[in-house]
Amino acid sequence: MLETRKLTKNFKGLHAVTDLDLSIDVGEIVGLIGPNGAGKTTVFNLITGFLKPTKGEVIFDGEDITGKKPHVIAKRGVVRTFQLDRIFLDFSVIQNVVTASHLYAGVGFLEAVFDTSHYKEKNKGAWDHAMKILEFVKLENKKNEIARNLSHGHQKLLAIAVGLAANPKILLLDEPLGGMNPAEVDSTLKIIGEIRNRGTAILLIEHNMKAVMSTCDRLIVLNFGEEIARGTPEEMQQNNDVIHAYLGVGKYAA
Amino acid sequence: MKLGKYWGYILLIIVVFAVPVVVRNDYYLHILVLCAINIMLTASLRSIATSGQISLGHAGFMCIGAYASAIMSMKFGVPVYASMLLGGVTALVVAAIISYPITRVKTVYFVMLTMFLGTVVTLVVTQWRSLTGGTTGIINIPPLGTISIFGLSIDFSSKMPNLYFAIILMLIILLFLYRIDRSYIGSTLQAISQDDTLVASIGINLVKYKIIMFCIGCFIAGLVGGFYAHYMSVIVPNSFSLFYSIYLLVYMIVGGTNRFAGAILGAFILTLVPEVSRVFLEYQPFIFVLVLYLVIFLLPGGLVSLPKYILSRIKK
Repeated sequence: MLETRKLTKNFKGLHAVTDLDLSIDVGEIVGLIGPNGAGKTTVFNLITGFLKPTKGEVIFDGEDITGKKPHVIAKRGVVRTFQLDRIFLDFSVIQNVVTASHLYAGVGFLEAVFDTSHYKEKNKGAWDHAMKILEFVKLENKKNEIARNLSHGHQKLLAIAVGLAANPKILLLDEPLGGMNPAEVDSTLKIIGEIRNRGTAILLIEHNMKAVMSTCDRLIVLNFGEEIARGTPEEMQQNNDVIHAYLGVGKYAA
Repeated sequence: MKLGKYWGYILLIIVVFAVPVVVRNDYYLHILVLCAINIMLTASLRSIATSGQISLGHAGFMCIGAYASAIMSMKFGVPVYASMLLGGVTALVVAAIISYPITRVKTVYFVMLTMFLGTVVTLVVTQWRSLTGGTTGIINIPPLGTISIFGLSIDFSSKMPNLYFAIILMLIILLFLYRIDRSYIGSTLQAISQDDTLVASIGINLVKYKIIMFCIGCFIAGLVGGFYAHYMSVIVPNSFSLFYSIYLLVYMIVGGTNRFAGAILGAFILTLVPEVSRVFLEYQPFIFVLVLYLVIFLLPGGLVSLPKYILSRIKK
């Protein structure tokens, strides 16, 4: 479904990502792991149009989306979240999700202005869609809270909900578990698994190794912008290069 | 349609329509026309600002509309109502052309670029003497054309009909802007001003929204400019200076940007008070700066948030 071919990004001499070949299919959760600075978020930016690749292509559903504008790519179904989680802090929780689900509703400008019955219907549809998503991530009882006042874990969950509302075919999650306590990690992982079960593929960047090993079907390991290994979680745990670069030996091993 | 919940607005509108009849004095009628004009300008400025675009060139677009309408009706014989609309369209075209580059830049640069634009407009108008009459401007601009309805013919040579026209125009424009603000368009614009990167990542074409709102706002400024020209019958480039753009921003901030009514309140009060109080008029720039400081530091939500502020203080 999503494929990158020889994806490369150079920043004036800094080789952030080099020759990355990635592919994800429907129903997969693929983990992109590696030490800090390995280029994982850069890969996300390249796939979703926030950065233009120096070389290489990004193919989605057979279409070359390399270097297209972020909102165009998102409309095609490739949605991402951000490492330092982004949400609309001054909006209520439900307003956050509604902002994304209006795309799903597809309403015209003049209809909105004249408050036609068609608009009222589509608007209600968008709000209902938002409620369903909030129920899915179990945030529905906070729907009128201002996003700024939410706990950190809830804010990260809201960011996922906002991404979901845009009706993605594939969701790119950038460290969705960052800063969460174990209980929050467990419930979020359940939600991520459920998203995959409902047909949305997931590309996951995460540092929580237990979570990665238990949730991902496949892993791609990056170091210094290059792929150093790929395979199932079990294979990666045995792979010497991966252990050396990332998982660690001895006391701090994952 | 549940009319019950709208009774407050209906009452307000009745009062607004009754005022011109009560106020007989031509001078005060004139002030009320200016209030209506400034309300329309400030409301459209505020609508553009909901997406984070602060325009310091709004008076420039009013200028484009004023001169376009005056020139079209005088040199090309276009009927006044049409030329007023075309004045708005001219402003819209300029806004559309300029919006492509400027909506993509950061807020600070947008402010600067609109400021330059407004200044350039007045400069062009000043220099192009053959078309615009330069610094001496255009005089003898024809008033709005006579309307005949219900057997009555309304001519616009006196203040009262002009005021009613301004009020009706204002109500239509305010309703239009209010509807946009309350719909998904308004909330998407607010979302854009909060986090434009997030907005792009969920598939919203933020540049399109910003351009559309900017063009609508500038169209209204041009339309109002056209009305201004035919009402005043004289226009000079000085009337549309950077100062006017700045004053409009002051009206907007003092009134309060968070609520739609803020722009209306700010424009109304700050247009009325200087005209009514001689003292205020003399020290207007200083008083404006003082009021601006007070609002920014003590009441950031603007005058429209005063009731809430007072209530919260009383509760303590």
